Amino acid sequence: MMLNIDSLEYSTGDFNLGPLSFELEEGGYLTVSGPSGSGKSMLMELIAGLRIPKRGRILIDSVDYTYFSPKSRPVGLLFQDYALFPHLSVFDNIAFPLKILKKDKVEIQKRVKVLAEYFFVEKLLKRDIGGLSGGERQRVALARAIAYQPRILLLDEPLSALDEELRDGAKETLKALKNSGQTIIHVTHNMDEVEGLATKSILFGQGFIKSVF
Amino acid sequence: MRFNRDFNLTYIIFALLGGVILVFIIAPLLGMFLSLKAPEFFSTLNDKQVGESIYRTLFISALVTLVAAFFALPLAYILARKSFPLKGLIEAIIDLPIVIPHSAAGIALLGFISRDSLLGSFASSLGLNLVGSSSAIGMAMAFVSIPFLINSARDGFSAVPVRLEQAAETLGASRYKVFSQISLPLAKRSVISGLVLMFARGMSEFGAVVIVAYHPMTTPVLIFDRFNSFGLDYARPVAAIFVAVTLIIFIFLRIYQKK
Repeated sequence: MMLNIDSLEYSTGDFNLGPLSFELEEGGYLTVSGPSGSGKSMLMELIAGLRIPKRGRILIDSVDYTYFSPKSRPVGLLFQDYALFPHLSVFDNIAFPLKILKKDKVEIQKRVKVLAEYFFVEKLLKRDIGGLSGGERQRVALARAIAYQPRILLLDEPLSALDEELRDGAKETLKALKNSGQTIIHVTHNMDEVEGLATKSILFGQGFIKSVF
Repeated sequence: MRFNRDFNLTYIIFALLGGVILVFIIAPLLGMFLSLKAPEFFSTLNDKQVGESIYRTLFISALVTLVAAFFALPLAYILARKSFPLKGLIEAIIDLPIVIPHSAAGIALLGFISRDSLLGSFASSLGLNLVGSSSAIGMAMAFVSIPFLINSARDGFSAVPVRLEQAAETLGASRYKVFSQISLPLAKRSVISGLVLMFARGMSEFGAVVIVAYHPMTTPVLIFDRFNSFGLDYARPVAAIFVAVTLIIFIFLRIYQKK
């Protein structure tokens, strides 16, 4: 299995998450749904390394990443509000992880161009983040998260900030990503928006897994 | 009568009250320039001692601001991002130079750098005398002005959404890269504002500087010296030139900051 969550536990204040255990195969599309405040986003942050669990293990390709820093994990995270860097252009946002990896300039140019074309943002590359629409922001954030070539892409409510009419287009983008073989975990409170995408689904109760189907 | 949102009576009264403050700030400065006498003014312009003191004051203040930033910005970042025991105490210590009399700060610093102190005797062993040196002036300037930089930078870092720093981390950035490429550029406006405030506060310092170093003279000390030795007519042109120079610098810095 590509991702193995083994008896993962976390607590903050009065809230206890877990123990959670589940697996995800390579190229799988896992949806995690449940009511607000049930710990779905917390699970994403645990997998991304933004929170450290109390107990349990996070294995990716059989390597134990439980206590690795976020930068050392082969995981990309798309935040609910996209968290684009407002002081950087669209190009520099997408290029950010490549510059961190110290790729050479020509390679960065090439890769950003490919990603921008894939996500239909090639005409926006010189633009500031401030002037982008919700749909454009989402596509730029996806391009940035993918630029890092993560083994697993975590999507935290990726469609919730979009208007009804933009959602269909965004869903098509996610479908294309899934078809490219990207392993994805998609958190949502609305099961309708992930219809036709999931290969596996988890339903959360308050801090625990209610069912897997 | 038709209601007008822009010319509400409350706003008019507030504007008049605020106007009193503006007049209070502008009137003495304007009065100083208007009462300048041409012969004294032009002879002061050519006075080597005045030119040197202005250069010394600006240079030392700018230098200590840059050196202090190297230590102050990391501290401001930690204060903005982390909770830890005694954080409130540390913040209170940082604010201390604002609340204590600056002459008292000068006395404290003098004890810290005099020959019989640890630092003073160490400097003495290297053949340096800190008291009455440019280093002492720099220390006095930094002591009274550093809270302005730390507090402004801390507020700037606090205003950067944690989400953006987390996003950078998940994109492979180390904590240092997060600081240098996300937090610092996004807090740039507050950091520059803090640097300008520290620079301004440092160069205008008199109380602490005059105690640790009467010579070499900074311009505030020179103004006092001229006033004490020769009277208002001799002190006024120096003060006017110094105010004019600082105004020009701050207009440029404000324009740069706005950009």
